Amino acid sequence: MMKLYDYILSPSCYKVRLMAALTGTTLDLRAVDFHPGLEHRGPELLALNPAGSIPILEDGDVLLTESSAMLVYLAAKAAPDWLAGSDAKEAARVQQWLSFSGRLTSSLGGARLHEMLLRPGDIGALQSSGIAALRELELGLVEQAERGQKFLAADRPTVADIACFPYVALAPDGGVSLDPYPAIRLWSRRLRSLPGFIEMPGIHRLHELKPEPQLEKSET
Amino acid sequence: MTGSWVPVALSSDLPSGTVLPARIPAGPLALWRSQSGRVAASADRCPHRGMSLSHGFVRGETLSCIYHGWSYGQAGNCLRIPAHPGLTPPEAIRTVTHPVAEADGVVWVAVGEPAATPPGLAGLVPLRSITAFVDIAAIEAAAGAKATAEGLLDAGDIRLLLSSTREGETLIHVLIAADAGPAERIAAARTAEALRRRAEDIQKKGAAQ
Repeated sequence: MMKLYDYILSPSCYKVRLMAALTGTTLDLRAVDFHPGLEHRGPELLALNPAGSIPILEDGDVLLTESSAMLVYLAAKAAPDWLAGSDAKEAARVQQWLSFSGRLTSSLGGARLHEMLLRPGDIGALQSSGIAALRELELGLVEQAERGQKFLAADRPTVADIACFPYVALAPDGGVSLDPYPAIRLWSRRLRSLPGFIEMPGIHRLHELKPEPQLEKSET
Repeated sequence: MTGSWVPVALSSDLPSGTVLPARIPAGPLALWRSQSGRVAASADRCPHRGMSLSHGFVRGETLSCIYHGWSYGQAGNCLRIPAHPGLTPPEAIRTVTHPVAEADGVVWVAVGEPAATPPGLAGLVPLRSITAFVDIAAIEAAAGAKATAEGLLDAGDIRLLLSSTREGETLIHVLIAADAGPAERIAAARTAEALRRRAEDIQKKGAAQ
């Protein structure tokens, strides 16, 4: 079974857990004491990933330390529909947004670490670059809608959507409001409506998709 | 006439069964559309614990708070308190609501006592909404044109409907001809971004002086 070195509050780890859930893949989760233990900077994990980051994915002789590569690996093994097809524009768009997701991590993710874990940084600059990235994503989704496509790279969700979704959804943790982005709001709803969608702290499912819970007679 | 219609969102950004945060001068709103398509605007505050109702969810014909699930109808009256399933909530538990009108693909909220119907869009249709962190004056300066009393602004290469959401923040609805094709629409979406950049640069330079 694939083993994921995981931290529950990490959006990058959540990308991999979410992709696994959406593709019906079971992961062996190994919890890492990221905070306050800094276990990812300890000798055992540095031996696997000298960069000192998580997630880390192990599967036999495959060892991956970049979350986008993990998304591609999970999709290729279990659900190739989540990868780019042979269309040149679609293939390029998937790569475009996979690379772009790194800017979400450094900007919105940086602001979030500053606000939640007091990591040093220029919070104003992090939030400004986060807003710039959200505006790019919003425009990208508006353009996709004009092409009749509901997701970032195609009319179906791909690894590119999963790479971008978590840091966007958690932007408010870093003090960046999502109110000004109607296209992002609807895209987030579409992703959270997918069969198999799972939550992480701060990203909840759509309660309205389930019937209203009723108390049992014995509980009233 | 002692009021106005505020264009708070585009109809297409509020599908059935959804809620979104909006803003009028009186404060933040939870703007929502029921499953059957009826739009309502409530103050963005649950009377129970003050949680933003725009964080909530729409199930059927009610808006529910994300915190404890208190549910409200179109008129703002509380219909259900999940922790007290046998209780019919008293009339006094209600959110403040505002009259809403939907016209030309725009959702308008009445502030004060405006005319019977919202102003028209000069034959145009809305394309998208963007938020600029500037006052309307900076957008007018960037466009080299003045907005009408209704907020319509003709910037030559692009037409806009402007609404001041709070000091230093303006909601811009980009308008376009109804028969424009996808390429023209994408170009207009990008032109609006360029205008916003110019307006925000103007405001920044003004603040630096």
